[in-house]
Order: sequence, then structure tokens, then C-alpha cells
Amino acid sequence: MSRTAFGRPLLPWLLILPSFALALFIICYPVYNIVFQSVHEVSRFGLIKGFCGLDNFRKVFADPIFIASLWRTLWWTLGVVGGTVLVSVPVALILHLDFYGRGVARTIVMLPWSVSLTMTAIVWRWAFNDEYGMVNVTLQRLGFIDAPIQWLATSNWAFPVEILVGILVSVPFTVTIFLGGLSSVPGDIYEAARIDGASTWQQFRRLTLPLLRPFINMAIVLNVIYVFNSFPIIWVMTQGGPSNGTHILVTYLYEKGFRLGKPGEAAAISLVMLAMLLCFTALYLKIQPKAKDGEGA
Amino acid sequence: MQVRLTQRLTRAAVALTAMGLAGFTAQADTVRVTVAYYSDQTEPYFKKMAEAFEKANPGHSIKIEMVNWDTLQQKLQTDISGGTNADLAIIGTRWLLDFVKDDMAEPLDGYMNPAFKNRFIGAFLAPGQISGKTYGLPIAASARALYYNKEQLTKAGFPNGPKTWDDVVAASKKIKATGSYGFGLQGKEIETDVYWYYSLWTHGGEVVGKDGKAAFASPAGFKAAALYKSMIDQGLTQPGVTNYSREDVQNLFKQGRVSMAISAPFLAKQIKKEAPNLKYGIAPVPMGTANATYAVTDSMVMFKNSKFKATAWKFLDFLFTKDPRVAFTSGEGFLPTTKDEAAAPQFADPDTKAFVNLLPNARFAPTVTGWEDTAKAVSDAMQAVYLGKAKPEDALKNAAQEANKALGK
Amino acid sequence: MRINTSKFRLSLICWLVLSPLVVIILFPFAVMFLTAVKPAEEVFVYPARWLPSVFRWSNFADMWDATKFGVALKNSLYVSLSSTLLAIAVSIPAAYAMARFPFRGKGFYRQFLLVTQMLSPILLVIGLFRLAAMIHWGEGNLVDKHISVIVAYAAFNIAFAVWMMSSYFATIPKDLEESAWLEGCGRAKAVWKVFLPLAVPAMTVTAIFTFINAWNEFAVVYTLIRSDANKTLTVQITDLVAGRYTVEWHQVMAATLLATLPVSVLFAWLQRYLVKGLALGAVK
Repeated sequence: MSRTAFGRPLLPWLLILPSFALALFIICYPVYNIVFQSVHEVSRFGLIKGFCGLDNFRKVFADPIFIASLWRTLWWTLGVVGGTVLVSVPVALILHLDFYGRGVARTIVMLPWSVSLTMTAIVWRWAFNDEYGMVNVTLQRLGFIDAPIQWLATSNWAFPVEILVGILVSVPFTVTIFLGGLSSVPGDIYEAARIDGASTWQQFRRLTLPLLRPFINMAIVLNVIYVFNSFPIIWVMTQGGPSNGTHILVTYLYEKGFRLGKPGEAAAISLVMLAMLLCFTALYLKIQPKAKDGEGA
Repeated sequence: MQVRLTQRLTRAAVALTAMGLAGFTAQADTVRVTVAYYSDQTEPYFKKMAEAFEKANPGHSIKIEMVNWDTLQQKLQTDISGGTNADLAIIGTRWLLDFVKDDMAEPLDGYMNPAFKNRFIGAFLAPGQISGKTYGLPIAASARALYYNKEQLTKAGFPNGPKTWDDVVAASKKIKATGSYGFGLQGKEIETDVYWYYSLWTHGGEVVGKDGKAAFASPAGFKAAALYKSMIDQGLTQPGVTNYSREDVQNLFKQGRVSMAISAPFLAKQIKKEAPNLKYGIAPVPMGTANATYAVTDSMVMFKNSKFKATAWKFLDFLFTKDPRVAFTSGEGFLPTTKDEAAAPQFADPDTKAFVNLLPNARFAPTVTGWEDTAKAVSDAMQAVYLGKAKPEDALKNAAQEANKALGK
Repeated sequence: MRINTSKFRLSLICWLVLSPLVVIILFPFAVMFLTAVKPAEEVFVYPARWLPSVFRWSNFADMWDATKFGVALKNSLYVSLSSTLLAIAVSIPAAYAMARFPFRGKGFYRQFLLVTQMLSPILLVIGLFRLAAMIHWGEGNLVDKHISVIVAYAAFNIAFAVWMMSSYFATIPKDLEESAWLEGCGRAKAVWKVFLPLAVPAMTVTAIFTFINAWNEFAVVYTLIRSDANKTLTVQITDLVAGRYTVEWHQVMAATLLATLPVSVLFAWLQRYLVKGLALGAVK
């Protein structure tokens, strides 16, 4: 029986109105503020010194640290999101099975999420200290290394460490999304498939994955956005150093805006970041197979 | 003792008010003060001052907001750009020029009479003055000296601590043989540049020359940087220098893992509390060709957009009388900035005297615009040198170029 | 009670496979816990040791006072719960619309919501502050008021809430409502009686996310909230560490541990909604 359209579709608009209004209200002024500052010369304290067109953007693009941070941000995002998804899918599948202590396992897996990102970064920075940090102490006690490793002293070690921490804190969120998705998969289809002789792997590929796809997309897109903008881990552990070796765009813009007192350039960098994310989401969602109406992404 | 202090404070406040603006109609002024966190004594101290002032000036109130140093600049910037900044604030004096340039700071000369000016020790008042006008009053002052582990240094043959950089190197070599580290070198976070300036200045170099341009890419500068790098290479410092902030180096010193570290007076207080068995000595910053140290002041400024300037000034006046000053400075472990304070018995202990003796050779951060950029350029350069990524000459020349851009040259 | 041997074997395998992850996850918590119960002098002892010589439980009490934990906890709970309720309330209708109606603004709305996520709070914080300073509320403006934080959090979480719930709602077959509708329920009633009960798992999961995001958020609270009486846990704890000359690490760790408890408890209780086919049980 087909649904009759409710007159002209006024209803859906009404339904989205509250959330739309709220979101719009909150981001409207701040976004306007950023755009405005990016095309003006702004003093450290937000005093507008004069219109300068695209000068801020020109300065920013001519800055080698900016370019380096841009590339590094791409690596950072790829590393963390890729690692997170790779770890989260099997973990979610396991946590979906019925086994003893499942509730405990699920709670443990989501523990990293219960600590604020800043505190997590602080604890890990402390743990990775070469003299008194627990990582070196434990590794030495277990005999894996002879001498303490200078984890955070060089960007060669520090950046991968930061990526690993990033993965660790993103896994709980992603696993929970997947668990939510898996719980929406009706159980009987597996029965039918088993009766038809499908192997576990085939069940996974043909049944689970496609039904999980909207949730995987959501996890990837949201993770990319959050990780791209993720500030505390790198800032707390290395402040983008040593020698600008671990700066990503968001830490660099924070330094520019709040330490070096150049809000105009910081605003310009923010807009560049926004543009990059917009491109990514537009492209990513375009290359998805056409989803049925109503399905996510 | 506490009660007496409060009584004296109240009396002082009352006296000031009586002397001051008699006949001033009492409006209910609320003066807001942004205060930087120095220790767990800071907030109680300011709250007590606020209460004493309020008692003596009924109808007016003082609101104290405490902020950590890490985020003080950011908070101030946010507040000012939102028009909700306080009336008074503690700032790093090195930021003062930025405030003055943007016309945020109120010149205080109109409120000060010669007697007031005379309260201060000249060397400390000077950094708060720009183009002849006084904008900031020195609320906190410290200098830097070399802390050394008495046991280790005596074993290395320097019972009274090292005097020159050659001494430091010699002592560190001996200490290295015993399994711990000689010289604690900071390579991360705020004041990484300053830690190198100790070497620069004591080798006769300058950060900013008389022409206002960056002057640290000089032979003295190259020597100073090469010295640190060679110490790192010979294992005379702790390994992984670029992972050590000032707090980290101090922790190593307190643990006895590092035998020499350059720091400020408050470290002595920390040692007494956290490592009471550590025998330490205080010596001047090691000499190269000259004696020098870094002195810092933090200033209290009044904002131009304050609506309660008269009352804010009264509070400032009160804070800079003898008893409030002595209470603050001795509680925090700083150096006295007013003459009355300096004569007080609290500052007669050997540690404080050691620091005070260094003042004649003290350098302050030059009042230039873009000090933060210069600091970052130098810190980046030093980090590259410590990691062996760049030679001192190249790194410093690059940094000088960057710094000149910020210095407007 | 008979132990199901195949389930037992499965459990062993599952735990074995999960163990590396479990160890890495629990490692920082072990560090936090053991540091929290160490006496202050032992925190930096060399060579570093795992275990304290004595378990100083009083650290927790000291920390409670030093961080004004009780007040901060109350504030965190209030702000997180309120923003979660607000976010869910405005998002449910939107998610329903996205899942059930084909309407022209759908793509635009989805893109708009994504854009709200792309702006990191770091970027928006100054603008938000100015906005709050401009709006009059009560005696002053919206700075240092919980309501501004609640509204901001709710707004930031809408995108995720709508997306998650609409994806989930889409998996609930339309026939259920339609058959109820056919049987004479009004449309609204059909939604209320048939749809919503099935949507509970989705709403629960979304509520968990929103609550946790609000609980741990730092930048917005830090900028908008000024007085101690209004600060939340994240700010109070970070304040203990950032830029201090001496950091009382044992207190910091104690505070962090306690701050994670409410979220962990909440999640432990609610995670059972993430069970296969809960939505479809009603079909049978």
C-alpha cells in the first residue's frame, strides 16, 4: 500500500526545523567571524587594522611550515582513520558475538573514550617520557629494549606514537557505531543464508558488509573530520615540534592565532581546512553506490 | 602572625583610602582582576588582599579570576576581543608592547606621584615603561641561576659549584662516569630560547642589537650554540634534550638524575618540599667571557577600557605597599621589586641573597614587538641544532631572518 | 547451571584475540591508578617503579578538595545531561524526516550538518565567545552561564545524532507503522506506539555519544565558563596541569580516574542495547 504524500511535503521541513535553526544559530556568527578576519589584517587582540583582501592567504601559502603541515595532516588523517577502521571492524564483529564476559569486554574497549582527549594526551605523554615513563620502564623490564628510547624527542618517533594514540582513542567511537549497525541487522537472514549453504565468509561479505555500509561510511566520514581537526594529542605531546616536525594544520593555526598573535592568518588557515574537508566529503559521498532513499549517506 | 598581618593590611588600606580621594562619592565599583597562577598560594593571597581592600573601602568589591600561564595570553586575547576583559591583569612584561601598540593599556603616570615611583627598585620598574610612560607595575620578579647538586659536584671537584662553562664541561665528564647526567638542558616548550640565551649572553652575544635587528647570529652566538651541541654529543647532558621542558629538567634535578640546571628561585621551594634530602647550591650562570643572567618581571596593567579606573588604581596602590608586597613575594619565592620589601627580614636567606646578587648583570627581555615570533624562531633553530638537523651557523642565520621579519626590520 | 562448552571455547578465543587491545587500553589506566595512590614523593622516584610502597587512598580525598571535584562533577552532569536531552529532542524529528520522507532539501540538509562538524571548536571558540558576550541574559550576558554551553553542545552534536539515528531508523521496516496506520491509528499515534519503542536502541546509542562528547569537551567550556562555581570537570582537571610550576601528578591522576567513572558506568549499563536484532524482535 503506497503512502499518500502528506499534501505538499511541508511536514519534513517542519521536522528538521528545530535542529536546523539551532545548528545555524550556533555556527553562523563564528563562521562569519572567521571569514571576516581572514580578509582583514587583525591584531593580536582582534582589533581590525584594515582590509587586506587575500593577503593573509598569500602569506599562508608562501609559508613552508604551512605546506609541510598540510602534507603531514593528510598523513595523520590517513594513518589514524585507516588504522582505526582496520582495528574496529574485527573488534566490533567479535564484540557482537555472544560470549562470556562480553559486557565487560565492551566496557573495556570503550574506556579510552571516557577520558577527555586532553587528559589522555597528558597521560600518554607522561608514559612516554624516556626517563621515568612507564612505557620505557615496562619495555626494559620485559627485556624488549636495553636502553630507554627517546620517544618524543624526535619527530620520527613522536609522530607515529601520536598516530597510535590517535587510533586508540578513535576505536571506541567507531566500534560503537559498528555495533549499533550490527545490531540493526536482522538475525533471520543469516539463518536463511546458512540453510542455503553460505559459508561464514560469504555471509560476511554478502550480507553483513552491505548492511553495514551506511555505518562504515558514517564512521569514515566523521572520523576523517574529527581526526583532521584533532588538536589535543599533538599539541599536548609535542606542541607541533620539535622544530615544527609534528605540526598539523590545526596545531599550526592555534600557534599562529594564540601564540604568535596573527588571528587573520589563523582564520585563513581555518578556511583552507574547511575547504579541504568539504571537497573530501563531497567526493567521498559521490563515489558511494547509489543508496536507497532513507539510508545513511 | 596571620591575624596581625591581616590587621596591618587593613590598617594600611584604610590609611591609603583616607589619604586618598576624600569626598569621592561612594559608587559600588566592582574591579575585576585577572591573576596568573604561580602556586597554590596565589589565589588565597589575592583573595585576602581583596577582602582587606573591601573592608577598608566599603561598597567597592574586587573580583579575582585566576588563570594558568599556559592559557593566560589566549584568555586575555579572547576577553579583549570580546570586550569583556577585566580592569587589571597580570601579564608577562614581554607582552607589554603588544598591549600598548593596540592601545589597550592605560598609562599610569597620571596616577603616580614621585613618592610612589620611588617605592620601586629602578631596574625592575624600567621594563614596564615604554616611550617614557609607565604602563606596567612589576608585581613579580625573578632571576635565573645555576642550581647544582652539592654531592655530585663536590665529587667532581667543584664543592662550590662551577664558575665557567669549562668547569661545567669538566664536572659533567666526571659525573657522566658515575652514571648520571651533568648539565640539564631544556629543549622544549616555553623559554627554550632563553635557556640558550644564558650561553649566548655569557659569551658576549646579544639577542637584539642597538639597531633593533636580530643580533644573535654572531660569532658569540655560533660559539654558544656549538657549546651546547658538543655537550649533547659528548653525553654531558640528559639524552633526548628536545623532549625536556623546563618542568621536566627540574624534575630530573630533583630526582638527582641531573646535577646542574638553570632555574628560578621557586625551584628552591620545590626542592625543600619534594626532595628534602637533596643538598643543592646556587651559583651564578656559568661564565664564558662575561657574567649574565636573565631577569623576568611580570607586570600588573590597567586596561584603558576599564570603567572603574580610580578604584582599580587604589587597589594597585594598596598592593604595592610594604606588607602586601612582602606577603606575596616571600610566599611565592620571588625577588623583591620595591625598596621597602627588599629590607624585610624574609629576604635575608642565603638563597634569595644569591639571586639578588646576580641582579647587576641581569638582562631583561627586550621590549620589542614580535618577541614571541623571535622566541619561536630561536627555539626552532635550537631544536634543529640539538637534533643535529642543522649546523649552528645556518640555523641561527635563518632564525635571524625570521626574527627580523617579526621585529619589523 | 550447565556451562555451555562451545560458548566457553568461543569466549576463550574471543578474549585471546582481544587481549592485545585490552592490554594497551588498560595500560594508561593502570598508570593512572597506581600514580593516583602513590605518596607524592614517590611519583618521580628513580629508577621508576610501577608499584607504590603504600597505597595512599587519602590522595583521592585531597584531590576532591583541591579540584572542587564535587561542584565540578555536578556541573559536568548537569551540562552533559541537558545538552544530550536537547540534542536528542531536536534530532529525533529530523532523523525521522530523513529516514522516511523523500524531500527536496534532504541532500542540502545533510551537507549542512556535515559542515557544522568540520569546524573544530578551536576555530569557533572566539566567535562563540563574542556571540555570548553580545547576548543579554539575566543581569549580564551569556558568558559564564551554563545555558550557553548546553546550547552550543547540543548544536554541535546534532549532525552526528541525526545521521546515526536516521541510518538506524531506515532499517526499521515501514510496514510496521503502515499496518498500524491501516488499522486506524492516526499517523502520529502510529509513530508513537510502534516506531519509537523500536527506535530506542538507536536513541540510546546516540544519547551515549552525545553525553560522552559533552562530558569530555574542553575548548568551549574553557572559553565560556569563568567562575570556579560553574566549571566542569575537564577544565578543573586540565587546570591542575597546564602551565603550573609544580604539578601534583597523583592528584591529577586521581581526578582523571574519578571523572571517567560516570561515563564508564553509563556505558556498561547501556551497552546491552547494542544487541542483534533487538529492533526486529517485535516482528515475530
